Amino acid sequence: MMTMVLKGLSALGFIAVSAMFLIWLERKVSAWIQNRLGPMMTGFQGTLQPIADTIKLLLKEDIVPKGVDFLSWWLAPFFVTVPVVMAFLVIPFSSKWIVLDLNVGVLYICSVTSLCVLGIFMAGWGSNNKYSLLGGMRSAAQIISYEVPLLLSVLLVVMQAGTLSMQGIIHAQAHGWFILKPQLALAFLIYFISATAEVNRVPFDIPEAESELVAGYHTEYSGMKFAMFFVAEYTNMFIISAIAATLFLGGWQGPWLPGVVWFLIKAYGLIFVLMWMRWTLPRVRMDQMMSFAWKVLTPIALLNLLVGGWFMLK
Amino acid sequence: MLFIYIKRIFVGFYSILKGLKVTFKNIFKKPVTLHYPVVKQPMKERFRGMVDLYPEKCVICYQCIRICPTAALDLGHKVLEDNKTKNITKFTFNAELCCFCGLCEEICPTDAIFLNKMYEVSYFDHKDLLSIDLMSNQKYKHVDGGVS
Repeated sequence: MMTMVLKGLSALGFIAVSAMFLIWLERKVSAWIQNRLGPMMTGFQGTLQPIADTIKLLLKEDIVPKGVDFLSWWLAPFFVTVPVVMAFLVIPFSSKWIVLDLNVGVLYICSVTSLCVLGIFMAGWGSNNKYSLLGGMRSAAQIISYEVPLLLSVLLVVMQAGTLSMQGIIHAQAHGWFILKPQLALAFLIYFISATAEVNRVPFDIPEAESELVAGYHTEYSGMKFAMFFVAEYTNMFIISAIAATLFLGGWQGPWLPGVVWFLIKAYGLIFVLMWMRWTLPRVRMDQMMSFAWKVLTPIALLNLLVGGWFMLK
Repeated sequence: MLFIYIKRIFVGFYSILKGLKVTFKNIFKKPVTLHYPVVKQPMKERFRGMVDLYPEKCVICYQCIRICPTAALDLGHKVLEDNKTKNITKFTFNAELCCFCGLCEEICPTDAIFLNKMYEVSYFDHKDLLSIDLMSNQKYKHVDGGVS
């Protein structure tokens, strides 16, 4: 019991440090791609910038806008952050570093992370602001649509591994990563695209499109509540990359280096790809995004499931 | 119909990869911006910054005072007892009036007055801006890296 509590607390610590590191990395990657320098003044290469930002956000006034639906407005950041933290329960950092290896790990993580949309919609509704409401509604539509191809591609991995446990899936990849199998490589691609949409990142950042919606659902939030949305966003990014690394890239398995290092290399590598995509691609239109989910990804995912399943039976 | 649909998906992916290649190349390029307050952009040859003076070169001919279109310069002198040597008593420059035309620099017969390469010209106090003592060694030292 005690060890589990300690593991949970260290997961919380990891979330905070990882979110800070990712915020710094995002700013640096954007700077590198745009031939700029990025943050340089606080610490070596601006590494202490996220800490300075956190202190700034902590000291800010907590503004309650006029006419908000107080309960839903106040609870929304928690509804967004708590599922993100809960998802860390089953993320396997190495063969031993996992808080609890549930036998329904994949199902648990998929159901928990889809709760985030509730918080986002509450924030949009509660803010009493047209931009927030539009952002929240778009986000709900987007996340629910992209859940379908995402789960269909995860399903294929579960079929291949024959287990829902995260460690079980990693052990099933002992003789070759799942991404190297052709039907699962396509599933990885579908998973990665849908996951990008799940976490509202470019090119699917329609819920928080700056040029149209100010900041989308978190327009009316300031100070620590805004920071909670921010941390949730970046931690979500880590979670989808960690799941992709676990399901398709062999998790913590790898030669020479310890398991946790391999896991973090794979997860942060995928995060780098997400950032790289963000600073390359323009935003798609709402109708383009919805038709891409329902007319391209879902049929391909279904077909992939059918063909992959047929190959497995043979 | 199906063929066109599949082809469009492939073309879309190809163009995305092409874009990613362009941005990936940029990651390794040298930044075009500077780490500003620490590293500064050197100014070009003909840049006209603040008016500056080599006091030892000045022959007190008053040409700069006469040509200055905005009367931004103020010069005073006294003649010593031998009736030959002149000494500058004050030489001030009003940066608020100056239009940075560079006429003083052009007219000066001894190249004593010139426009330096300083571009950080803000002051903490408005009064300091009105009469900058050109005879002082410390005139532009308050700005980090100020050329004098």
